[in-house]
Amino acid sequence: MQHVVEVVEHRKGQTRKVTFELATQARDLADRLGGTAHAVVLGSGAAELAEQLKAYPLDAVHVAEDPDVDAYLIDPTIDYVEAVARAVGSAVILVPNTMYGRDVASRIAARLGAGMVADVTGFEVEGGRVACVAPKLGGATITACAFRDGEYGVATVRPNAFAAQSGGAGARVDAIEKPPGRRYAMRIESEVEEASDELGLEEAPVVVSGGRGLGGADPFRTLLKPLADALGGAVGASRAAADAGWVPYSLQIGQTGKTVSPKLYIAVGISGAIQHKVGMRSSGTIVAVNKDGAAPIAEFSDLVVVGDAFAIIPELTKLVEAAKA
Amino acid sequence: MKIVVTVKLVPDLNASKSIDPATKRLVRAGAETVLNPYDEYALEAALQLKERLGGETSVTLLSMGPQATQETLRKALAMGADDAVVLSDDVLAGSDVAMTAAALAGALKNIGFDLVVCGGLADDGSTGGVPGALAEHLGVPGLTNARHVEIDDAVVKVQRETDSGYQVVTCPLPALVSVTMAVGEPRYASLKGIMGAKKKTIAPLCASDAGVGGLAPKTELLRFAAPPARTKARVVEAPDGATGARAIFEFLRERKLV
Ligand SMILES: Cc1cc2nc3c(=O)[nH]c(=O)nc-3n(C[C@H](O)[C@H](O)[C@H](O)COP(=O)(O)OP(=O)(O)OC[C@H]3O[C@@H](n4cnc5c(N)ncnc54)[C@H](O)[C@@H]3O)c2cc1C
Ligand SMILES: Nc1ncnc2c1ncn2[C@@H]1O[C@H](COP(=O)(O)O)[C@@H](O)[C@H]1O
Repeated sequence: MQHVVEVVEHRKGQTRKVTFELATQARDLADRLGGTAHAVVLGSGAAELAEQLKAYPLDAVHVAEDPDVDAYLIDPTIDYVEAVARAVGSAVILVPNTMYGRDVASRIAARLGAGMVADVTGFEVEGGRVACVAPKLGGATITACAFRDGEYGVATVRPNAFAAQSGGAGARVDAIEKPPGRRYAMRIESEVEEASDELGLEEAPVVVSGGRGLGGADPFRTLLKPLADALGGAVGASRAAADAGWVPYSLQIGQTGKTVSPKLYIAVGISGAIQHKVGMRSSGTIVAVNKDGAAPIAEFSDLVVVGDAFAIIPELTKLVEAAKA
Repeated sequence: MKIVVTVKLVPDLNASKSIDPATKRLVRAGAETVLNPYDEYALEAALQLKERLGGETSVTLLSMGPQATQETLRKALAMGADDAVVLSDDVLAGSDVAMTAAALAGALKNIGFDLVVCGGLADDGSTGGVPGALAEHLGVPGLTNARHVEIDDAVVKVQRETDSGYQVVTCPLPALVSVTMAVGEPRYASLKGIMGAKKKTIAPLCASDAGVGGLAPKTELLRFAAPPARTKARVVEAPDGATGARAIFEFLRERKLV
């Protein structure tokens, strides 16, 4: 493995910080391998986003604004990524560890006969071999996993794990030729937005998360959102809250939701079940607000405040707002 | 119509987990084996389809893993699956995502299917990579993260969860879907189901019969270590809101988070 190819996630040209973190990491890893760094940007808005990526130290940005990418699920994307990977040659492929990224990774790895490592937080190069550092078993172990022989390796990279740094040569932008003779079967009939999602939960620096203890949908808006806004963060939730229909599933954190590692995680009315813990345990600082001082969350928090969230959170929001003013 | 549900048997998540330093594999001894919780949802989705489609629809379980744990499959058979196939072979031990998907694909080609239903994620530290890779190997459409599945006239229609909501996607059969837990709570086995399960077949399948004798993993675990330990939490009793708020605020100050 010599080169590095980043697959960019975006919506109509709008992307997130992780794109630039990966671009920076692609350069760093390519330098250690003595190869080149590439990005692939597909679908509507790709050309515009490619211009933005020029500010990052990539050698080339490969672009296809093919409407098929937006009309059909995953298949056109994989065809284009494959085309770039084959043209570039032996490479590590980086995607963000998000729902989209995990889909792309599993498909492209199988397509290229490559190994796949998920939720990567670091790379090591040993004797020309690439090893991925990744927390496993829900963060109970930190592993180093190497790609075995083979031309390609695929890593889904955790947002917030690497710094984004602009600068560099100004990548050249190449159009990717459409792979010939393909017909696609998975048609996207419609799209429904349930959460505004201004700030990607996975990359928010602060997450204020609510659970069953909040008792309904309203406190997520009236209690948690103002605190999250004051702290410059995003609102998350436990599965119990999503199951109850208080928040959309896209806010769920945990084993079957999102993995987050913000600087600060505030768990409000969340007991800290193992399935929740695995999605947030690597956060920098964990604060729990819970009526029950013996809840499991106390075992992996830095600060546990035993009391009523409905009394504490509004007061805290006032303090944070006052400090900012 | 033939539906195959892929189910993994995993160590109980609530039991403690470790990696054996010698073999670098998950220690399975001692931990109780359970059906991967997520796969119960996959089975639930399949059974709902079977009820709606009626007729000749059958639900087969496919599991790859050690032969010895197959009795756990009786629970899934008791829920209503018709039969099971266990792909088990020494040459498949130590599989990674790539090898698991390739092996399951071999088995699926051997068994035959119209629809494959997978769970979203295996509980034992896996990564949810198998369904996508499996679809790729099978050369069929792969609809991941479905929270609702319908089949009409050999067309699959799913609501697929996305980062900010969902999308409706359709494709023809044969196809693969992986489900989220929103498909509905897995049903309990009835007494009749439990009795009936004893008579259902669990057929063994070896790697060479599945045509996957020569696979090798594509990744290798080099090292592992415990994460840095967190210091014990500071605990503050907050009889009123102001006390609690002040305690958090000061703590965040100390850590330069506000
Ligand atoms: C296969 C599987 C996957 C799962 N995946 C996930 C996942 O991804 N994410 C996830 O979160 N869960 C997941 N779960 C569910 C998980 O096991 C727990 O059931 C869930 O996390 C509990 O949510 P909770 O902490 O909000 O609710 P509870 O466990 O009911 O806890 C509520 C807490 O609120 C406290 N409380 C009540 N009132 C107040 C108040 N006024 N002020 C302060 N505190 C208060 C209580 O003391 C209690 O500790 C999964 C389960 C399974 C089986
Ligand atoms: N060994 C296995 N046997 C059967 N199904 C599996 C196996 N491993 C993974 N799967 C299926 O793939 C899904 C995702 O698993 P994973 O990609 O390992 O997290 C599971 O929910 C199962 O449906």
